[in-house]
Amino acid sequence: MRKEPIVETEEIFDIELEEDLLNRNRELAEGNHKAMHEHGVRALDVLGSIGSGKTTLITEMVKRLRDRMNVAVLAGDLTTMIDAERIEEQGVPVVQIHTGKECHLDANLVHKALAELDLASVDLVIIENVGNLICPGEFPLGADQRLVMVSVTEGPYTALKHPYIFADAEVAVINKVDLAEAMEVSVDGLAEDLRKVKPGIKVVPTNAREGEGVDEVLRALGL
Amino acid sequence: MHDLTMARSIVDTVLEAAKERGAEEVLEIDLVIGALTLLSREQMDFWVRELLRGTIGEGAEVNIEQQGPEVRCKQCGYRGPVEVSDDPIYHLMAFTPTCPECGSTELEIVAGDECTIRNIRARR
Repeated sequence: MRKEPIVETEEIFDIELEEDLLNRNRELAEGNHKAMHEHGVRALDVLGSIGSGKTTLITEMVKRLRDRMNVAVLAGDLTTMIDAERIEEQGVPVVQIHTGKECHLDANLVHKALAELDLASVDLVIIENVGNLICPGEFPLGADQRLVMVSVTEGPYTALKHPYIFADAEVAVINKVDLAEAMEVSVDGLAEDLRKVKPGIKVVPTNAREGEGVDEVLRALGL
Repeated sequence: MHDLTMARSIVDTVLEAAKERGAEEVLEIDLVIGALTLLSREQMDFWVRELLRGTIGEGAEVNIEQQGPEVRCKQCGYRGPVEVSDDPIYHLMAFTPTCPECGSTELEIVAGDECTIRNIRARR
């Protein structure tokens, strides 16, 4: 669909921009990754549906990790300080990132939030993305690993309907397994779907509110 | 889902570039959207036109080219297009690509993940 090149006249002219707007985010993500690695900081991007239990899982992870490493959390949401306050109770530094109207965190927001942390005294940064199984997939943040959380209360088809989000994920967590029977959702079936959309993904069932399965999540992440 | 945000950044970039070069009117905008992105051609087309209203780009022709996935194989050096599985399960999938030459999965995506403003045609 190449058009005839127009010779530049006074009247009509072409501006060949060749500017990739998504690449801007990827470059910033690489910058974040490099900055964290220079300080020996490892980063985990936690993605998942709205209300799947991301904050609860992170709180439980922090409880188990805080005695053996320095953990910091970046909590992404459109608005409110609710998540930051919940995690802060565990005595670790938390930076709340407000996206305003955005459906995902991006590398630029994470870059700004990292500036508020003293990376020299942090070993692990856990980034809680905005609750959403679609958009965050497109925006790498510079983390080393991705964990995606779904829960049985979202019904049986979350994995098949949102395959893209699992493309770069290492670990998938199926939460609220204690409600599986009431929801008539098969945890095994959901796990099978997850392995279909992302061969090789480690699937961990949890009841995060009671802390069940959280040690297995840490093991799956190599933490 | 974030098509409006991307469209806004496209329109801002286009208008800035056009004004910088003294354009009075933007006639055409050529965009490339990768098949591996989550951006929908139809929604992007709608929002870009919508956001151009009331600007020097109002009524410009918006051409959106869809770019298929291309990779570079880190094992054998193959560089070129790859098939996206059409298994309904992978309908929206980024794809789990394998090299058509050697079957390796160690691939670098060289095209198909972009949202690029290729060219702007304007009038002074």
